[in-house]
Amino acid sequence: MGYVSLENSEPFLKCFEVIAEDKSCIVTDSVLYFSGKTGKGFITVAGVSTGIEVLAVNVSMLTDDLTFSFLPSPDASSYILSIEEIGIPGKPENELSLSLASTPTDKAHSSVSITDAEYGKLITYPKERIIRSLIVRVQKSSLGHLIHDFDAGAIATILQSANRVSSISWPITFKYRLLINDFMAEIVQHPFRELFTIRNISILVEYLLQQFFVMDKLAGEGNYLSSQDTVNLSKVEQHLCVHYKKEFPGIEKLSRISAMSPTSLKTKFKKYYGETLFGYYQKNKLEHARKLLDNKVPVKVVATEIGYSNPSHFTLAFKKEYGFSPWHYLNPH
Amino acid sequence: MKPLTTPLSNQKAAASYRLSERLPVGLTIHRWKESADQLNISLPVFDEQDLVLTFINYKGDLHIATGNPPDNGQPASPGLGLLSTGNKEFQLKSFSPIHLSVIVLLIPRDWIGLFLKDNPNFSKIEQALETESNIITCRLGRRQLSLFSSIMNLEAKGRDNLLEIQNHALSLLEFFLCSRHRNLSAVHAAAGIDNEDDLSLIKEVESYISEYYCSDTFTVDSILKKTYTSYHKLNFLFKSTHGMTISEYIRNKRIEKSKEMIADNAKSISQIAYEIGYSSISNYILAFKKIYQITPGKYKKQMDSLA
Repeated sequence: MGYVSLENSEPFLKCFEVIAEDKSCIVTDSVLYFSGKTGKGFITVAGVSTGIEVLAVNVSMLTDDLTFSFLPSPDASSYILSIEEIGIPGKPENELSLSLASTPTDKAHSSVSITDAEYGKLITYPKERIIRSLIVRVQKSSLGHLIHDFDAGAIATILQSANRVSSISWPITFKYRLLINDFMAEIVQHPFRELFTIRNISILVEYLLQQFFVMDKLAGEGNYLSSQDTVNLSKVEQHLCVHYKKEFPGIEKLSRISAMSPTSLKTKFKKYYGETLFGYYQKNKLEHARKLLDNKVPVKVVATEIGYSNPSHFTLAFKKEYGFSPWHYLNPH
Repeated sequence: MKPLTTPLSNQKAAASYRLSERLPVGLTIHRWKESADQLNISLPVFDEQDLVLTFINYKGDLHIATGNPPDNGQPASPGLGLLSTGNKEFQLKSFSPIHLSVIVLLIPRDWIGLFLKDNPNFSKIEQALETESNIITCRLGRRQLSLFSSIMNLEAKGRDNLLEIQNHALSLLEFFLCSRHRNLSAVHAAAGIDNEDDLSLIKEVESYISEYYCSDTFTVDSILKKTYTSYHKLNFLFKSTHGMTISEYIRNKRIEKSKEMIADNAKSISQIAYEIGYSSISNYILAFKKIYQITPGKYKKQMDSLA
């Protein structure tokens, strides 16, 4: 069994292939014991000396389930934030049909969660999947490095409230998908990994807080969705995310995917994601467009690339969403 | 700081403000906007061990001066990042009207120790800092300029905005560290425009403008005909050297001239408007007001009451 100390003095990041033979990984307070199964990808461990530790997992096609366990430690004073995106391998156009084959019996699905490390956490990633996840263990005291009143704020209260003892989780949204995309694409060769990591975690916390208040409001209304509903909704969400280049699929198709009536799909989606179906689709689409613009792709090309037949439609939609046109985004003078 | 020279100094520069926030991650950010007739400000000095990252964007002409006593300095170009050690003094100067926005990011020593110290790429930057007399620069791209303007426009109310400012600031810092660095003498956009022809073109156009800008037959088209260039190219060159379009540049020149003429107190406002090439007085008044936030008539009264 190999291990990587999170506090070692080695340069920040370790990459390794998961090829060991043991069954599981154990993360104690400062040491990650890893072992895995054959598969492609990497796991990186980033110990930032501010009390923030990052475990980035990017693996695909493991031959066996991969398990991490954070041992419960009564005096541990940290939170575990995690984003997991679990996809099913396949050609992009087949992605949908394959992912629809996944059933709620799957042990894990894409999600975002905050856990109090006091109670420990067991994370299992299923075999034969594409797994990209970001697990951040952050000391309660050092959350102050990211945000002043995070700790004093409502999260602690919610976590301690009777309903959800140690963990609260949310559906993954396109923002997290984009974040994790960027992170995985750049972390290995980024010249300033520490800075890059802290920036991404800071962005993650921003997203979490935004979403937190939406979800908190929802919880206050006392309307919980059944687990079957959430699985169905996440299918719809995934469909919207994957097919952002195509036209909006239309409510009938989405309601078939979700096995809900159009009306109940609309209300439940809005409740769960805080956005209307089309609003969500559009935001994701434009966020992709913005990424392309950042890479100096001309506006006309971006418009075609994300599926607009007419650049001025794109310009209008962009302006409606962000308040400035793509041209002004490129020329901020 | 003395933003405005007399007599406009008794008039408040409406757009000027200063804000300082300590970001949760440990950096401190100062940001301010300045609209001034002439400018001569020193940036705050910090501890020697700290690093200071300054981002500057403006419309007008700006010079950056270092050393003691400060000289007239290097001409700069809009959209600039400067990394310096905390004790490095430098001044921002302008001899013509300018709209300036500045973001100063203070990176304390212990923060550097946490995130950057062990990084081999950072050691290279430290070396560059030493060899370039404690200051290195880079030019901001489009993405960075849009981050820049969104930082300037965000009010630090509540934690959401503060987090957003923090994320943008970290992005800017990351960009600066990853980008290609130049020394201070290369801050003029001319250095960014590597083409000799373009350099001489800008010079030629500038001198042409300063010769003919008061003539009422003078148009941007006449420059294009004279120099055989396209409007877009010329605009691009002017944007990267002066931060404004060519027509804005000409307007500023005219209005500046008219201000001197008002101060001379020999001619009426309408006479002045025609002499500097405006065919309608109301256009002239609007243009003047846009730059000095005061109408020429009121300005004239102010001058009279001072005299």
